[in-house]
Amino acid sequence: LMACSSVLLTFKHLLKLLHMSVFSQSFSPCGRFLAAGNNYGEIAVFSLSAALSPDASEASQKPILNFTAHDGPVFSLLSTDTHLLSAGNGEISAWSWAETSLEIPEINAMIINPKDNSLIVGGGDNNIHIMDMETGIFKSVLKGHTDYIHCLCFKEREEEILSGGEDGAVRIWDARTNRPVHCIEVFKYEECARPQFGKWISCLATDSDWMLCGGGPSLSLWHLRSMSPTSVFPLPGCQREAVFYQDLIMSVGEGPHVSHCLHGGTVKAQIPCTPSSLNTLALNLKNSEHRVMTVGGSSHQIDVFTNFSYRAFSLSF
Amino acid sequence: MSSDAVKKRKPKVIRSEAGAPETKRGRAEGDQVTYPAGPHLIGQRKLFTAKNQDVRVYNEEVELEVRDPQQDYMLYKDTCAALAKLMEEIQELKAGGAKVQSVEIEERRTQCSVHFITLKKLNRLAHMRLKKGRDQTHEAKQRVDVLHLQLQNLLYEVMHLQKEIGKCLEFRSQHEEIELVSEEEFFQEAPAEISRPHVTRDDQHQLTLARLDWELEQRKRLAEQYKMSLARKEKIQKAIEQKREYLSSLQPGLQNIMQASLPVQEYLAIPFEHMQKQAEVARHLPPPLYVLLVQAGAYGQACDKNLSVSISGDVDEAKALSRPPEDSQGTSVGATEHSQTLIFFSSVQLDDKRKEMLRRHPLSLCVDLKCKDGSVLHLFFYYLMNLNILTVKTKVSTTTDLSGAVSAGELLNSESLLNCLYASDHGKETPNPANRYQFDKVGITTFGDYVSDLGHPFVWVQKLGGLQFSSGGAQSGLTGSALSASHMERTMKLLRGRLQARLALHKQFSSLEHSIIPVSSECQHLFPAKVVSGLVRWTTMSCQEFTELGFVQHVLKAGLVHETDLFFMATVERGTARLRAAVVMNPRYPDVAPLFSLSLHWKGERSGRTDDNLQAMESEVNVFRSELQGPRPGLQLLTNQIQRLCVCLDVYLETESQVCDGSEGPKEFPREKMCLRTARGPSRLKPFKYNHPQGFFSHR
Repeated sequence: LMACSSVLLTFKHLLKLLHMSVFSQSFSPCGRFLAAGNNYGEIAVFSLSAALSPDASEASQKPILNFTAHDGPVFSLLSTDTHLLSAGNGEISAWSWAETSLEIPEINAMIINPKDNSLIVGGGDNNIHIMDMETGIFKSVLKGHTDYIHCLCFKEREEEILSGGEDGAVRIWDARTNRPVHCIEVFKYEECARPQFGKWISCLATDSDWMLCGGGPSLSLWHLRSMSPTSVFPLPGCQREAVFYQDLIMSVGEGPHVSHCLHGGTVKAQIPCTPSSLNTLALNLKNSEHRVMTVGGSSHQIDVFTNFSYRAFSLSF
Repeated sequence: MSSDAVKKRKPKVIRSEAGAPETKRGRAEGDQVTYPAGPHLIGQRKLFTAKNQDVRVYNEEVELEVRDPQQDYMLYKDTCAALAKLMEEIQELKAGGAKVQSVEIEERRTQCSVHFITLKKLNRLAHMRLKKGRDQTHEAKQRVDVLHLQLQNLLYEVMHLQKEIGKCLEFRSQHEEIELVSEEEFFQEAPAEISRPHVTRDDQHQLTLARLDWELEQRKRLAEQYKMSLARKEKIQKAIEQKREYLSSLQPGLQNIMQASLPVQEYLAIPFEHMQKQAEVARHLPPPLYVLLVQAGAYGQACDKNLSVSISGDVDEAKALSRPPEDSQGTSVGATEHSQTLIFFSSVQLDDKRKEMLRRHPLSLCVDLKCKDGSVLHLFFYYLMNLNILTVKTKVSTTTDLSGAVSAGELLNSESLLNCLYASDHGKETPNPANRYQFDKVGITTFGDYVSDLGHPFVWVQKLGGLQFSSGGAQSGLTGSALSASHMERTMKLLRGRLQARLALHKQFSSLEHSIIPVSSECQHLFPAKVVSGLVRWTTMSCQEFTELGFVQHVLKAGLVHETDLFFMATVERGTARLRAAVVMNPRYPDVAPLFSLSLHWKGERSGRTDDNLQAMESEVNVFRSELQGPRPGLQLLTNQIQRLCVCLDVYLETESQVCDGSEGPKEFPREKMCLRTARGPSRLKPFKYNHPQGFFSHR
């Protein structure tokens, strides 16, 4: 009888792994741990130091902590100095890189405004909410998008919030006055538009004057001063996350590879990965010992790149 | 001439030479002849003497006694010398020229004649003397002979007598072998006329006689008694015979009563006789089958009225087996010393050895499980004596004809019906590790070859028979009846569940093949009222065909596919879109859910690996299947899963055109489903979750 039930358990587990997608990642403040969230609402914490150590075994590629955080998928994770914030269906939980939780309302993206210590949340209700981290009260709501918000990013120098949404618009907001500054409808630009895919914007990244955005339209690099696209990257799938790293642009999306691109618009390399399509890419820059890039997507495995040119090993739920 | 004359004269002269022929005759006739030979001659002599009394009788015999032999001998010599001398003289004279007729010669001749006559007389005398001597000797001899004879006779008689004495002395009379009562007893018991103590105390011979007499008396008496007892015994024997006949005449009467009571037994639901008969046969069952019989019967009585057990097979053969054990184990053990020499054995011998090893006990158990709808699962349990394992064969009988569904061919196949009743219990190999050595001896490589013949040796069958083999994982300390009892309920429930699941599937398949997805009323709430996508094909696949499909590799890699699984392909179509679903069904359905892998052919080929939404659809049917179980015992899982796939395809196709903006022209699939949002989350998944009773679709 015992044997039967344990077989059933592993079968269920295997089924879950087959249909798993990793949507979000976040490194701990010390840089020694990686937290990842999947579509079952589970968060797994992996010990990077264990996985990267010379005598790492298969066991060290398994999570050190695995818990169900939410009912729905965990689309975004964010680490603060003391807490890991995870977002489920209409709720945000904060877990201390020690342990607690509080609850709030569907959230696809979260960023922090370090200047006034506020949490900026973009979600399924088409609005951006700003919450004061100390008091936990929502200060303001930025309305403007006509469809749900996919991604957020923050320009520190100008204190501007950028948001990309399903409606295909990238809106720029002033964080101090909470007013919309610009609205770019990317799909209207011929160079970027890909009508066969759609108009949604699923990834945003900024680096002072530059902005990366992509999704249904091709991934493109924009100069914010002139509000025009300077290069368009000929990547075949829809990109879901992109980052600036040194003088490279790395992006992941549909297709089992990480794309390394140059500012000029050329695709330098496409590094193959285990999942058949990727949802999240994270770089561990806080800790020089464990400098890795990790990607997760539609698989139960998270690929770890120690040298960004090739995959080193995989962590598994 | 004178000699002639003498000769001529012989017959005329009667001499007493008559004695000579007598004696001659006497001698010729042997020793025992006595005197009276030739009485006529004696008579004749006497006659002559009588006649010629005055004639001078020349009786030489008388003369013989007078004369001296020595003198006669001297005379003879002289005569011979004189004769010789005369002859010489004659010779001289004749030589001197004298005539034959001269006087000297004549004189001499006459003298010679006289000498011859003397010689003749001497010869006669010698003869007579000889004869006389002979006669005397003969007489003496005769006398000696007579005496000798007497001596012999006496000696012979002595010897004879000695022998007789010896015999008499050795004579063992039979009376000594008879054990006689001891003397004291004899004197005590015997009546006076027999014992005659006054005589017998002194005389041993008499005593013995008396004792023998007494013995005889006693024996006679005892013989009488014996005869009487014999007669009595005969009588009693006859009486017994009579009584026996009477009893046997009762037997048919009792049988009739028993027969007549059967309806009563049935009416009262005490199948007494049937049980008795069964118990009678059950005594010859081998132990594991007996345990199974007892436990199954007990379970049936206590918990499950629809379970029945019966014994079938040849009871006589079973009885023959249980008699003085011919060690059938021995033949397999002592078969060969070295396995390699098997190669050189004739194949006939090997076949026989194999057959012997795989021999089944002549008795088998038949367990029938009846279901509510009337179908029955027949299980036949066999015991392989040399291998000490139980095997089972199955048969399903249904009230309705089940020939409808082509794809359902494998479902009720008796070979695979009971596969994996418990996880990974394939029943292809023997669970008894000792059998490995036995198989090596007769060259059987795998038991799987014989399974279709002999039945499947599942582990649960062994457990039901109380047989525990050490190769298993978790070991309970139970054996025998306790082991059987602990597994009985669960196994029976599983068996019933299996039969019902398969029958339900059978019905469902025949409906699916007609492109109708049978959704029962209890499950209607899981799906919207209008479902446009429809099932167009439902076929079965082989394991080979399944593994060759491109979009199932992830399932294979994850090790979720086994050879014992059943494989199917469902095709759902709507408009130009065609969705293919490859289904892996574990034999333990519905405890283990079927696994779907999707591939969509619409404006290109997509699968669950390439399209996140298809993966989401897969998880809708695979992972969230607990919603789709339907009413217990969850037999509608498969059909509900297929229905959900159709619903999800509807949503997929209708929302696809919504999401891909910018494409001009009419949408192929107008939106009919109510969705709050068509995309959500970073991967922009479609709303596949149906909410009842509001009737809209949302995201999980």
